[in-house]
Amino acid sequence: MSKRAIDGSDFASMALLGADLLKRNAEKVNALNVFPVPDGDTGTNMNLTMTSGITELKNKQSAHLGKTAEALSKGLLMGARGNSGVILSQLFRGFSKSLAHVEQATAMDIAAALQHGVDLAYKAVVKPVEGTILTVAKEAARHAVQFARRNTEVLELMVEVHARANEALQKTPDLLPVLKQVGVVDSGGQGLVYIYEGFVQALSGAKVEVGQDSATVAAPAEINVVKHSEPTSAQAKLETLDIEFFYDMEFFIKRNVSGNSVAVFDESAYKKALSKDGDSILVITDDDIIKVHVHSRKPGDVFNLSVRYGELTDIHILNMREQHRQLLEEEETSSEANLSAAELLAGQAIDNRPTEHGFERAPYGMIAVALGEGVAELFRSSDVDVVLSGGQTMNPSTEDFVKAIEALSAEHIFIFPNNSNIILAAEQAAQLTERQVTIIPTKTIPQGIAAVLAFKEDETPERNKEWMQSAASMVISGQVTKAVRDTSIDGVEITEGHYIGLKEKSIVTSEADLLAACQALLASMLEDEGDIITILTGEDATEDVTSAICEWINENHSDLEIDLQYGGQPLYPYVFAVE
Amino acid sequence: MSKVRIVTDSTADIPAEVREELGITMISLKVLFGEETYRDAVDLTPEEFYSRLKASTALPKTSQPSPAEFLEVYEQLLAEDPTAPIISVHLASVLSGTYQSATIAKSMVEVEGADITVVDSCSASYGHGAQVVLAAQMAQSGASVDEIVAAMKQCQNDNTGVYFLVDTLDYLQKGGRIGKASAMIGSLLNIKPILSLEPNGTVTAVDKARGTKKAMSKIVELLKQSYGNDELILVVAKTDDDTTPNELEQRVTAELNIKEVRYTTVGSVIGTYTGPGTSAVFLFKV
Repeated sequence: MSKRAIDGSDFASMALLGADLLKRNAEKVNALNVFPVPDGDTGTNMNLTMTSGITELKNKQSAHLGKTAEALSKGLLMGARGNSGVILSQLFRGFSKSLAHVEQATAMDIAAALQHGVDLAYKAVVKPVEGTILTVAKEAARHAVQFARRNTEVLELMVEVHARANEALQKTPDLLPVLKQVGVVDSGGQGLVYIYEGFVQALSGAKVEVGQDSATVAAPAEINVVKHSEPTSAQAKLETLDIEFFYDMEFFIKRNVSGNSVAVFDESAYKKALSKDGDSILVITDDDIIKVHVHSRKPGDVFNLSVRYGELTDIHILNMREQHRQLLEEEETSSEANLSAAELLAGQAIDNRPTEHGFERAPYGMIAVALGEGVAELFRSSDVDVVLSGGQTMNPSTEDFVKAIEALSAEHIFIFPNNSNIILAAEQAAQLTERQVTIIPTKTIPQGIAAVLAFKEDETPERNKEWMQSAASMVISGQVTKAVRDTSIDGVEITEGHYIGLKEKSIVTSEADLLAACQALLASMLEDEGDIITILTGEDATEDVTSAICEWINENHSDLEIDLQYGGQPLYPYVFAVE
Repeated sequence: MSKVRIVTDSTADIPAEVREELGITMISLKVLFGEETYRDAVDLTPEEFYSRLKASTALPKTSQPSPAEFLEVYEQLLAEDPTAPIISVHLASVLSGTYQSATIAKSMVEVEGADITVVDSCSASYGHGAQVVLAAQMAQSGASVDEIVAAMKQCQNDNTGVYFLVDTLDYLQKGGRIGKASAMIGSLLNIKPILSLEPNGTVTAVDKARGTKKAMSKIVELLKQSYGNDELILVVAKTDDDTTPNELEQRVTAELNIKEVRYTTVGSVIGTYTGPGTSAVFLFKV
């Protein structure tokens, strides 16, 4: 079917199908993890992020595209888990910001919105890495912007976006050597490609299969792509005459028409002039073409103003009052009134959420992420106020962090993510609150413990940050887990089911025997000696292996002090720290 | 002019032979295990004390000497030589009432022309003891009260060269002498606070580390920052037969410019508050 513009309902269908496809392929995405370890699951993280977005979208469904996209964006932002989830949320945050005032988006709107999302995501990530979801999104958006100049068909645009995203995905191993080494494409990029594929399917008329998990399945009416002018209760609450600026106008101004001299275009002055009798103004300026969208009550004035800057083409005007009357008539025949739609306009941006005042706060608070009851207890006993569960298999979301921050009555809050895949979500949460938050980017539990212990109550946040980061950097972290697939990485041949030893981020050993893997890992960790070794025993640790490890350390490194602690972490029988 | 006489208390942890050699008069604080009272550094050897301390469920109590005991010592010294000035140097007044007792005793002396100066060492154990030894050496070579007191003040050095490690913070906490050393007391992790004394003698934790070895490394780092390549005298204090003081000595001598090493044992009064397994280092510029 052919579509020149999409509205909120269309976009909702796209998002639902995108989420659905991602969900069904989450395991495939998980399998693309570079390290054959049972953690940092990108597919799971992105799926949970998207699910949060969809939940919000359903609560605030609207025929208004901008509002629908905003709802999705807000849900994504709060539900963001893992690095890919955070980047995904930033992509859609930019996307929705670009379309905030757009009821119905054309191909060019969508292209511009995709590009805006990419811009924002690149800004949000401190050190953008090419060969990841960022590259995939960037290539797709760049192509979309070019394609939309020549083609106004939304479906065709999304087909192109999906194809180009996939193409970029296939090239990720060329950009990121570690992908090539392992022979996979980037997992986050793959997740995004699935979402785009869902967009294409929705625009082609596909629906989410009924019987899927409720989180991704909408009421049939919601996802019916044909329902271009699907009524909603929110619309019904509007009086037709309330629509003040009721001519929905959209056109292009071609700047370089041969022979004609045109006035210099001042975008802000132009927008100001439009706003005299209009709203929902969107002006996208390109080298040789200007795209204009406005709701105005004086269409003639808009044209007269615009012809000064070039030739007008592709002109569309819609009477929104007329459209609204039709909606109301249809609404009367449809029995279902959406009760939750009353909340539609009640949504408040998180950035504006007031913080509590009027009581004394402690100078400092600490939030750490930990996996395993023993590890959590170690943190709590060391002055950490809130321990968030998570780490490997279940990364805490941005919202989890926001809640923990808001719950703490402290002037300044330090967060220890203790996992490289959690740092971005914590940083995003820090930006969403007005509280003073400092992220200490710890990547392992041992780093987190060292950083927490470096805390000094009577020092400034800046100096504490410095000390804590330096303390974290002095620790050598080691982890032992079972490989989830065969692979070869960093010159180590890995067999599924064998125990692999990770020293920081590198796999240094793979052994069928747990003790042998621990010994090989420890030998590598102890190359530069150290004063103390901490052993955190996980759920799968055994007394025999633990005492054999201690014996081995006493025999080979008699100077080393051993601190044996119950960690209780799943999946990782042993976590070691050498300081 | 008679030579200055030096009086101190048992918490200076000056070995008996050094006291005798330098003619230092010592007044004992007391340790009470239940009903039994012992004079610190007189009735109980450190070995006996620490084995009893480990075995004892209730902490022993300590008591400062009474003004009357000080008065007796001062009057005795004045009887020997009424013209000899007395300098009486004592455990930091923030940690003990010993200094207060000495001050009261001074006001009670009714000997005509008596010249008694009571000095707050602002330190403990050999941080205090070193000032006493210096004073006694200067007194032997005929220095005046003013010269000696000025030299001791310089030796106090704001306690920058004093560090000690305790096996457990329990004793400091139970004895109420913990000051700002309470950091991380509840941690399940093997936290070792690096203890020192504030300029007035209050116990403080300057840093903390995981485990004793790491703590020793940090002490060496802190000392290097303070002294660089200065020529130093190192005094190592231990409580019982723990090996930590030896290792600490090795690490300090390996990294700093140590000209002379002296040894002492933390006496029973200080030991009551630090517990067994305490090691301390005291550094002084040559």
